Amino acid sequence: MEQLLAIWVEPLSLEQPDGSTLRDTLVLLDALSVLCPFTEVVRLGLYVLPLRGPSRFFGGDAAVLRAVRQNVLDLVGVEPKLGVAEGLFCAELAAHRELIVPRGTNDAFRRAQPLEVLGRKDLATTCQRLGLHTLGAFADLDHARVAERFNKHALALHRVACGELSEMEGQRDLRLARRLAQLRGEEDLFEEQQGFFGQRGAGDDRADAAAHRVRRRLGAEGIVVAALRGGRGPEDRATLVPWGSPPTNVRDLAPWPGQLAAPSPATTLAHPVPLQLRDGANRPVVLSARGTLSSEPTAVIFSSPLRREIIWYAGPWPLVERWWSRHRRRAHLQMVLASGEALLVVAESSRWWLVGIYD
Amino acid sequence: MRPVSLAKSRTLPLGDPWRALVPDASLRRGSTVVVEAPVGLGGLSLALSLLSEASTQGHWAAVVGVDDPGVMAMVELGVDLRRVLFVPRPRGAWAESAADLLDGVDLVLVRPPSRAGHGAARRLMDRVRERGTVLIALSEPRAPWPLPADLSFRVTQAEWVASSRLDARYLTVRVSGRGEAVRGGEHVVVVPNRRGRAEAS
Repeated sequence: MEQLLAIWVEPLSLEQPDGSTLRDTLVLLDALSVLCPFTEVVRLGLYVLPLRGPSRFFGGDAAVLRAVRQNVLDLVGVEPKLGVAEGLFCAELAAHRELIVPRGTNDAFRRAQPLEVLGRKDLATTCQRLGLHTLGAFADLDHARVAERFNKHALALHRVACGELSEMEGQRDLRLARRLAQLRGEEDLFEEQQGFFGQRGAGDDRADAAAHRVRRRLGAEGIVVAALRGGRGPEDRATLVPWGSPPTNVRDLAPWPGQLAAPSPATTLAHPVPLQLRDGANRPVVLSARGTLSSEPTAVIFSSPLRREIIWYAGPWPLVERWWSRHRRRAHLQMVLASGEALLVVAESSRWWLVGIYD
Repeated sequence: MRPVSLAKSRTLPLGDPWRALVPDASLRRGSTVVVEAPVGLGGLSLALSLLSEASTQGHWAAVVGVDDPGVMAMVELGVDLRRVLFVPRPRGAWAESAADLLDGVDLVLVRPPSRAGHGAARRLMDRVRERGTVLIALSEPRAPWPLPADLSFRVTQAEWVASSRLDARYLTVRVSGRGEAVRGGEHVVVVPNRRGRAEAS
């Protein structure tokens, strides 16, 4: 079950007659959606988001919690109660108790809860007469016995107590999403279909829905989007991140000193392929410490005995970078093969790697 | 301007140099476009360049089955990456993933991992017609797209021009299409040029 961060914001849980609660709910939702696009308002005052993606992005659960806390404090003016657990039911309980339930202990956490958390007084009273005081004890009842003794609502709650269902019926306010959409619709009437800078249009929502389907089919790493960052080679400057990761600033494309000029290769290998360069006498071509080639490359040999003649090359363009305080010496080489293909290769730690194909 | 008109428009815009070569300077919704090129000779660049104008005008695109898309090259070609979804390694599920995306985006570029089956191709093309989207199928001559397309771009020759670095690639492209006024025959285009863009020669 997915680990969720539940965010309880007390002042937003009671709706004010002036409509401000709904507007503030939307404002906070938009702010939290910047941290994680899957943030949901479960009902007034309760927000939830899957922790895994943002945690990887921000570098740990604590950093995400800090960012969320700060956002709520800035926008609402109060400290939220935060809780982390698996599934909506447990996550909400964790939030009310301000607990982070460590992975692997979710069952124990759920089973230790008093029966009152199920929100059914009749059920709690009956169980107490039977000597059952915790969800764990209730969960241990045979499903058939629960069915004969209680009504069908209790059966669903039994499944929640057993951990078979991750949320209780009625835990979500199903009308809220529509009300928020309506509110947003009125405000965004003239900005529909723009989709920039956080404003969303119908096209964006359709694309999101399709992306969700693909993610369900292939897993979180299956569908990705591009993020651009600074760097010298095209293989450094672009990266693909799982769809749904917090957005990065893709407009930041200021040229870096020593950046390789356009055109960039249409294929940029995420995992560079090792290769060798040979000269006319079939000797390996190496990059010297001064950034020059030991001899003219005339052929490229891939790890398989696949040999291709080089008809033109340019470079090497050496790059010495300080990367996490260790020197990284690299040089790019462009080449055109007799077959017509053009490649971008890089020399690093005395080996050559294929990093791009101009295909 | 009401954006609804955008959504209902029957075509998707094309950039240079393609607009001069196809009817209405655009891609008709519901149509399938085939881009065919020998390995390494510019097919991917050509196919990606077909996305640029539509993406900058607010349409969503998806790229399925391109293992390691050159994101910088896409930026240079003018593609707006904020509206591009990538499914780099759909493995066995390339057709299903493409079909999922056809419901949500306006253009899907798909490169089948091997020869596309007749049935899968038929189902995708039906879906495209039904949803009013555009499918761009990228293939090679030795594993061609198995069904006739509405529009096709076939690279027959690729030649690099280089000075102290790679400057430009001249592609000889055979454009053909069904009916209408496709300016058939061979055209030489530059993909990419010195700035990484596509242009007429």
